[in-house]
Amino acid sequence: MPSDTIKRHGFVIDISRCIDCRACMVACSVENTVPYDHTRIWVHDQGVQGEWPTLQRTFVPYNRMHCDKPPCTEVCVSGATFKSKDNGLVLVDQDACIGCGFCVDACPYEARYIDQERGVVDKCTGCVQRVETGQAPACVQTCLGGARLFGDLNDPTSTVSAALAKASTALRLDAKRPDGASTGPNIYYVNAPASMVSLLTTDGFGQMEKSVPDTSQFSIAEEVWKKVLIPGLGLAAVAAFGVQAIFFTKQLLEGEKENEE
Amino acid sequence: MTKTLSRRDFLKLGGLAAGATAIGNFLPPLVAKAAREAGLLDPNGDGYIPTICEMCVWRCGVLAKVKGGRVVKLEGNPDHPHSNGKLCARGQSGLMNTYDPDRVLHPLIRVGQRGEGKFRMASWGEALDLVTSNMKKIKDQYGPEAMLFSSTHNLSQPAFENILYAFGSPNYGTQRSLCFNAMIVANLMTYGMQEPDRDYAHIKYLILTGRNLTEAISTSETSALMDIIAQGAKVVYADPRFTKTASKASVWLPIKPGTDSAFHLALINVIIGERLFDQSFVTAYTSGFEQLSAAVTTCTPAWAESITGIPADTIRRIAREFGAAAPYALAHNGWRTSNFVNSFQTQRAITILNAITGNWGHALHPVGGEGAGGLGSVPQPPYPRISAARLDGVPWKYPFVPLNIGIFQEMRDGALKGDPYQPHGWLISRQNPVLDLPDRQKTLELFGKLDFIATIDIIMNDTAWFSDVILPEASYLERYDPLNVVGDKAFLRQPVIDAQGEAKSALWIFKEIGTRLGLQDYFQYQDEQDYINQQLKPLGTTVGQISMHGFAALRGGRPNEMTWNTPSGKIEVYSTILEKGGFDPIPKWVDPPQPKDDQFYLLTGKVGQHTQFGTQNNKLLHKYEDTPRVWIHPDAAAKRGIKDWDVVQLASDAGQINAAVWVTSAIRPDCVYMTPGYGHLSKGLRTGYGVGASSSVLHLTYTDPISGSQALSQTYVTVKKA
Repeated sequence: MPSDTIKRHGFVIDISRCIDCRACMVACSVENTVPYDHTRIWVHDQGVQGEWPTLQRTFVPYNRMHCDKPPCTEVCVSGATFKSKDNGLVLVDQDACIGCGFCVDACPYEARYIDQERGVVDKCTGCVQRVETGQAPACVQTCLGGARLFGDLNDPTSTVSAALAKASTALRLDAKRPDGASTGPNIYYVNAPASMVSLLTTDGFGQMEKSVPDTSQFSIAEEVWKKVLIPGLGLAAVAAFGVQAIFFTKQLLEGEKENEE
Repeated sequence: MTKTLSRRDFLKLGGLAAGATAIGNFLPPLVAKAAREAGLLDPNGDGYIPTICEMCVWRCGVLAKVKGGRVVKLEGNPDHPHSNGKLCARGQSGLMNTYDPDRVLHPLIRVGQRGEGKFRMASWGEALDLVTSNMKKIKDQYGPEAMLFSSTHNLSQPAFENILYAFGSPNYGTQRSLCFNAMIVANLMTYGMQEPDRDYAHIKYLILTGRNLTEAISTSETSALMDIIAQGAKVVYADPRFTKTASKASVWLPIKPGTDSAFHLALINVIIGERLFDQSFVTAYTSGFEQLSAAVTTCTPAWAESITGIPADTIRRIAREFGAAAPYALAHNGWRTSNFVNSFQTQRAITILNAITGNWGHALHPVGGEGAGGLGSVPQPPYPRISAARLDGVPWKYPFVPLNIGIFQEMRDGALKGDPYQPHGWLISRQNPVLDLPDRQKTLELFGKLDFIATIDIIMNDTAWFSDVILPEASYLERYDPLNVVGDKAFLRQPVIDAQGEAKSALWIFKEIGTRLGLQDYFQYQDEQDYINQQLKPLGTTVGQISMHGFAALRGGRPNEMTWNTPSGKIEVYSTILEKGGFDPIPKWVDPPQPKDDQFYLLTGKVGQHTQFGTQNNKLLHKYEDTPRVWIHPDAAAKRGIKDWDVVQLASDAGQINAAVWVTSAIRPDCVYMTPGYGHLSKGLRTGYGVGASSSVLHLTYTDPISGSQALSQTYVTVKKA
């Protein structure tokens, strides 16, 4: 995929290594002073699958997508939301943000929230303040299982590029923009176990059974995602808000990398 | 519509601000004086300070990021082998323990009834005088043994022990009998050491018996587990629950509670029967192999299947794979399996399994232990002779339990019964007996009988809530502690901010108490730094010199790999010590008691977001914890008309609780599970109060006669819709 930015920072997430310990979420909350009623990142628990005693359970860590073609920047009336030309991260200039919330609605991943206290939109910044000083994002640095990786996807020698090249499977959550093009998200999910049923989740707290029982988020795309995980099936459309997944075979990935170089 | 971040934006985002605005901004910063003097902080009070985590007892290395005299972030110290640059959820949340809005920051003296929660602020002088005058009164009237003392595994514990032993009381409770006495005593009997080091570097095969490493987290060990799995190691995980660790294992064995030792004896049976053991290692380094061979002939896989529920073929396969992978195989002895009075035999069987397959020196190594490595110590006179018998029965009823570990639940019960005598006071440091001891009603009953209770803690935990005096301790980010030896380094806990309010370090508090009791000879240090400098003296260095990196290198290498501090000097497969004590010298299957038809095994365990009974009030952990629910299998739930999220009543012979359920196939149909540490009584914990229910209300007290371990899984409960 051609890249418009000098660096294309993104995440590669090794699903087989996530243990749902939530060190990432606490680290993110502290690093970025996230309000107690919001979370910028979460881990999607797919629930206990199968019949006793043959059970599986998969955890899918979530960050913001830092899309190549983010819909949020286009609806931003104040110009506060932008994609950095330098590092490829999608950021919000909170001095300019008027908190209108259009971008919150436009984001197909529900990656944004309004910080009521400050009256501005907030989201995962890829810990840009750390990245610019040579540190890994807080969630990546402390990941006990080694599931979260971060780096420049434009750089073939980066840890993320190496992990993608080595991966047995890779998945991306593409969403369809109003113009029909893909959002081009920069999170790749690799090494998904066979038990994985869905990548799709948007409610970080609903996930964690914080309050009322709510299983609705599992039902949105479960069937579709099961199909997506069968190798060779290629593209599959998901209803809801038009999110698509692309299953990358090894060849596809390699083709993509050639394009970039 | 894009724009790039301006330099101003980046400054605002943080990280780069240090230095840029330093000049011309000379307000006196509210930062730790020592850290400033050591050059760890710039004039603005910004910088990174190395210290040691205390969110659990694994003690990871921490780099605390300080900004303007406030801790803003904690990072794992890459120089510390326990953290390797990472911290778990609890470690990451550590600054919220320090900034907990419910911190106790001034000495408090009770004014209302016990448990009413009414206190008044007092000066340190008044509070300390009240504590020590009560202690003296009790000693004069009833003897020193009438004072109980308890403290949980922490770095300042040697100074706490000075108070009680110099005072003359034998009654000392630690949390270990509620946790891993069975493992410690089994290791002592077999290897002559409490806990060998586990080495994951080359492990190809790992058996985890209830060691839920992804939820009962020890940062470096949890990371090592995920690394060996990624490298293709096979992990066998036995647990009545399908935990997160089970979901990462190659094989999950939903073993019947209380039957772990049968499983391990059958593994030994196959390994000996099929000659998969390491003959040369066995001959050179173990004693009693012949007796073991004879004893396990009846422990066949088919026999174990009938007890454990694990198919005989599976057991045989695991034994063969384990034998083939040895010496790069490890049967992890964990902290506890499902815990029954027979758990000591399980632990012995595991130590023997590792020995006969020759894993020693590859997957297991001797450990130096705390206090080793050529550190100096603070001089003190010998303790007075203590003639009174201990209330917990060590050693007169329990000869094999180490004195500095004791049996906490037996101390409580002995005290409650007044057997062999009635105690009258209790001094508690960083320990929460009201919540962590089984059978909470009994603990509260004992509190009601005591004349005086004083608690040292950082927050108003349940025990403090029922105390007469609360002495506020500085949090782990606010104080020094004695050094902690890990491998070939002695690591330093040092304050990264000044203590808030009037909170003081444990070393200061203990010295003040000791001095007021006339025991100043046992506290020969001026202050915390002087204590550590005396430890460092043989190494020719000082606190000031090591504070930059947070550790001192120790002299001398690892202890000799092939020596064991046992009577035979070998690994004792056949334990002559146990034999002399009248116990089985070779591990033997003991049938545990069974629940009645309508009852369930009550299992408890850990979650990755909390540590035992002490972190539930941490707002960051509360944010990311699961709502605590009782696990129940769908079949068992359906039979009782119970649906997910229903509130149910659990009842045991000790008590009953109400809690919401999680109906899940991740647990055996004959078990229910709950996470301990919830159901706080203290209304001084505004985040933790009102969340969940306490398993300690349900737990009955059963003590293993050999190790003193509390059989935590030997409580059976009925479940019905509330």
